[in-house]
Amino acid sequence: MTKVFTDGLSFAIPLLIMAVGAIYSEKSGVTNLAIEGFQGFGAFIGAFIAILLMPVLGNGSQAVIYIAMAAAAVGGGIYACIHALLCIKFKANQVISGVVVNILGVALTTFFTSAANTAINGTASNKFILGVSSRFSIPGLSAIPWVGGLFKNMYPFEIIIIVLVLFFWYLMYKTRFGMHLRACGENPQAVDAAGGKVNKTRWIAVIISGALSGIGGICFAYSILANYSPSIYMGYGYLAIAAMIFGNWNIGTTALVCLIFGFAKSGGYQLCIAMGLPSNYSDLFLMLPYILTMILLIFFSKKNHPPKAAGEPWDKGKR
Amino acid sequence: MEDYIVEMRHITKRFPGIIANDDVSIGIRKGEVYALLGENGAGKSTLMSMLFGMYEPDHGDILINGEKVVFHSSNDAAAHNIGMVHQHFKLVDNYTIAENIVLGMEPKTKIFGILPSVDMKKANRDISELSKRYGLEVNPTDLIENVPVSVRQRVEILKMLYRHAEIMIFDEPTAVLTPQEIEFLLDIIDGLRKDGKTIILITHKIEEIKKIADRCAILYRGKLVNVLDVKTTSVQDMANLMVGREVDFNPHKNEANFRGTVLTVDHMTVKNENKFDVVKDVSFTVRGGEIFAIAGVSGNGQTEIADAITGMMKIDSGTVKIEDRDITNLTIRERAQAGISYIPEDRQRTGTVMDFTLRDNLALREYYKEPFSKNGILNFDKFQSYAEELIERYDVRSGQGPKTIIRSMSGGNQQKAIVGREIEEHSKLIIFVQPTRGLDIGAIENIHKQILDERDRGAAILLISLELDEVMELADTIGVIYNGQLLKIAPASTMSSHDVGRYMMGVKEA
Amino acid sequence: MNTKKKNRWLSGLLTSEKYSSFTVSVLAIVLTLVTASVLLLIMGKNPARAFLCFLQGCGFAPKANYGGGSGMLSDLFDFLNYLAPMLLASLAFIVGFKAGLFNIGIAGQMLMSGFAATVIVGYNKSIPAGLAKPLVIIIGIIVGGLTGALIGYLKYKFNIHEVVSTIMVNYIISYTTGFFINNKYVDMLTRTSRVCSPASRLTWTGVQIGGVGCKVPLGIVIAIVMAFVVRFIFDKTAFGFELKAVGLNKNCAQYIGVGVGKSIVASMALSGVLAGLAGVTYYLGYSNTIIPKTLAGMGYDSIAVALLGNSSPVGSIFAAIIVTIFQQGANYMSSTIGVAKEIASLITGILLLYASCGGHMKELAAGILQKDLYREIEAKQASEGSGSGKEEKR
Repeated sequence: MTKVFTDGLSFAIPLLIMAVGAIYSEKSGVTNLAIEGFQGFGAFIGAFIAILLMPVLGNGSQAVIYIAMAAAAVGGGIYACIHALLCIKFKANQVISGVVVNILGVALTTFFTSAANTAINGTASNKFILGVSSRFSIPGLSAIPWVGGLFKNMYPFEIIIIVLVLFFWYLMYKTRFGMHLRACGENPQAVDAAGGKVNKTRWIAVIISGALSGIGGICFAYSILANYSPSIYMGYGYLAIAAMIFGNWNIGTTALVCLIFGFAKSGGYQLCIAMGLPSNYSDLFLMLPYILTMILLIFFSKKNHPPKAAGEPWDKGKR
Repeated sequence: MEDYIVEMRHITKRFPGIIANDDVSIGIRKGEVYALLGENGAGKSTLMSMLFGMYEPDHGDILINGEKVVFHSSNDAAAHNIGMVHQHFKLVDNYTIAENIVLGMEPKTKIFGILPSVDMKKANRDISELSKRYGLEVNPTDLIENVPVSVRQRVEILKMLYRHAEIMIFDEPTAVLTPQEIEFLLDIIDGLRKDGKTIILITHKIEEIKKIADRCAILYRGKLVNVLDVKTTSVQDMANLMVGREVDFNPHKNEANFRGTVLTVDHMTVKNENKFDVVKDVSFTVRGGEIFAIAGVSGNGQTEIADAITGMMKIDSGTVKIEDRDITNLTIRERAQAGISYIPEDRQRTGTVMDFTLRDNLALREYYKEPFSKNGILNFDKFQSYAEELIERYDVRSGQGPKTIIRSMSGGNQQKAIVGREIEEHSKLIIFVQPTRGLDIGAIENIHKQILDERDRGAAILLISLELDEVMELADTIGVIYNGQLLKIAPASTMSSHDVGRYMMGVKEA
Repeated sequence: MNTKKKNRWLSGLLTSEKYSSFTVSVLAIVLTLVTASVLLLIMGKNPARAFLCFLQGCGFAPKANYGGGSGMLSDLFDFLNYLAPMLLASLAFIVGFKAGLFNIGIAGQMLMSGFAATVIVGYNKSIPAGLAKPLVIIIGIIVGGLTGALIGYLKYKFNIHEVVSTIMVNYIISYTTGFFINNKYVDMLTRTSRVCSPASRLTWTGVQIGGVGCKVPLGIVIAIVMAFVVRFIFDKTAFGFELKAVGLNKNCAQYIGVGVGKSIVASMALSGVLAGLAGVTYYLGYSNTIIPKTLAGMGYDSIAVALLGNSSPVGSIFAAIIVTIFQQGANYMSSTIGVAKEIASLITGILLLYASCGGHMKELAAGILQKDLYREIEAKQASEGSGSGKEEKR
């Protein structure tokens, strides 16, 4: 049971930060199917910086992880500019743009990972070996029966992400910037008439979306995967989008959905072990989040309300 | 040199393909109500959008209090105390009234003394106070999506007052209001004038100008024709100047010749996607040769009636019959074939495929029938000849004839194409929803004539319009809808526009 | 002055109705080649040599030397083997795209149909070739069509965005088939699925043409025929007319009485059929085995093909050739000049990026023309109306 909580949280929390990124972009009026590409590219930059730093700071150093997280945020943010450019400046179809960004992301990172490996250690491997982040337990809380598992064996990044999510919740719902951002996704004309800058707000939102996705990506690389490789493209970006849809574009509800995803995944896996099935069967349990997503989508897709102006480029000169 | 609070000198503004304003110069005095009169497309809104900083003029200067200004955004205009109520309200539907009003000028506070945030409590208090002071009562915490059009307009006015606007621009403020609401609005405008505000009123309704305005500038196809003193000018003169020719105020309407009942709507109830009754237990009949008009304030269920009859929305209970045939459960296409033509409210979102050619759009009702298609294979020669025929008959003008992409055509010609396509089906029932919205006077006259011709041919006409003038002008019978219910059905000759207006606001018979 | 004229000439070509679809694509290809060249130069490689290697790898130019029994023609046939599923996959994308749907689950649909055909026919050695090949095609059509129809149904019935559902279905198919291959059909040596019987394979191997051994694909015939079938459907039939109407304006399509839900399911089913055909020509033609839990990159490359071909079925034939040259020629290029073969995907990605900017390029060009027009009008007005302007000031 403890394991279910621990693994569930460590999956749910990076997923949540990506979903918050998606919410920022969509709430500002830019449809965002590019999370998968953002997180992969952001994680690539983070992992690349980590690989460069590891010999300098020593292999065991945990400081590398934090620097990598910052680098992943920057990398994801920069990469998101492509999506912003296509959607906001070029007024391209936003769904196509998302697909383009994802495909290009896989190609870029795969190529440059092997190119970097060739340059650094002479082997054309497509992996950066990162290792797993160290863990800690919160004293006191982790001793509580049943729910104590939630506070046991945590990754430090989980705490960082929770703080970030709280901050971005506050930014979205309590500040002028957030108020303008949400209005941009509902009726950009209103924002423009009130003197707001619609396209600037959308640019910032998409960049935030990239940065948060990048953080999510590097955390997966440092936990479940233990390295950076093309297998970072596991569709978690799309799971984050699905979580956003069930969460009805609301950060609070989306957080709940992410937790459900997380516990379903870890619960399924533990069930597989408890039933004593051979390891081959783990493939079937790895499918659980995807199947769960489909089922939830069937029940919830019809009822929710995406931001009204999402998907429509804003053109001031248009009459 | 006169003392103007606003002066616009030699303003020229071009958009791809058209010159919206051509060397227009106007001067407005402090404290007057200055009307801008002109047809749709005459360039009134464009001119004012420049004064409000939404566009920048290609040429010419704007002077406020004698000083030259350059506005890059509406913020710059607001800084000079200019405010504007747009024709399409610029409100965020899922925000509260107070949130909408303070958007862009939010009062600030700090959570825990450090985190900057929006002070909604103060905003609600301020708005409540402001609305009481000017007699514009609103509840600051209501969501915009839950309040009627007239309240939304009040919110727009409060938005200007909250920003301390001294110069207030109203763009077609009465287009969607009932006569009573119009009177209320004109009173408010009068009060604002007494308060020392300068009002600019964009409109194509001459009676309102006559009632409220001091002076009136007339625009025709982007050019300034004349500036008149309202008191000394007759309505007819203004109308002639606006249209650029003699206007016939009373279109010729033949005596009605009713035939058998074509459409029977019996206790029809329609639910929207949120399972909310938008049409409640509505019953009426339309005879051949009759124009049955449904009047009502926007959003009271009138478009849903049309959608339910044509099959675009599901009928929850009740029946709809064409002559003796029950069509309640037929598909959209089966109903069309049973004898329904439909000119929908939104010609761009529903009435046409904007990226199809004019030829293909004209064939949308016929493409699957012989000789347009045989065994599923299309016959484009027939498409072409049919299009040429309709273009000729309905005077549809376009750049390149049948192969023009319909998106590139003017709204009036798009509408003519739709009306032609639907009329050509020679249906027993023709439903028109807002058939003249956004069209210029020439196109409006053309469409009205088509409607009357079809009625005289013997078709049953269901006309749904938000423009009360249009309803009064064309209808043989008027049904007034309020909150999804038909409050009153009566021959048009027995009701004045004021009577209709009262029912539109939900006042039942005494 | 000269550059301005050039500008105008290029803008004219980009906006002209007749040529724009073609010129935009060519411009995207040119920009991609330039970008790729810069990249290769940075890596210290000769771009011209690299591009020649891509062509040599596909049998369009002679290599320095060939292994025993193979030659330029064998390379060319290998190229066609890869081209066939690529073209079919891009047609699958186009069919959905025209009806306003983004089928990005082509890779999954390919895998599903390929897996089904492999298991049902490929491992059944008793079926003779004359029966096995048609059977493989039919299974591809049915399985692909059903998978596509499922996505369409979910969209129509439950309003599930097809981009999300196709990705989810991709992973579900990938893990499920992976599970069965690993448990039942695995070849212990290669860790991939066991090869299918030659009778079931849609490619005839070891055919001697001009003295060299060639793999002759049946798929390329299917693919080109399907390109023209798809063109016929959209240009000439009432069904295609309706799909286009649904794709461009769902409200209007509903208004004129087209069953929008039915159209969505039908177009996704048709898209799935084409993806299914791509799947069987890929897994039982080009390759002869399935790598478990791996989706074919072609599923995504086909989107680049479709956009580059301006979503025209016939245009895609040319676009597919371009993309396939990079994908198929990458191995030879890599072994000859030592650049990682992943560069092929990168080039495809860049191509996709530029192709998706096509609309903006057109708009930019239109803007330049418009400005020129304004300037002319203004110059005209200035020369005519200079007198009257002065008068007014007086």
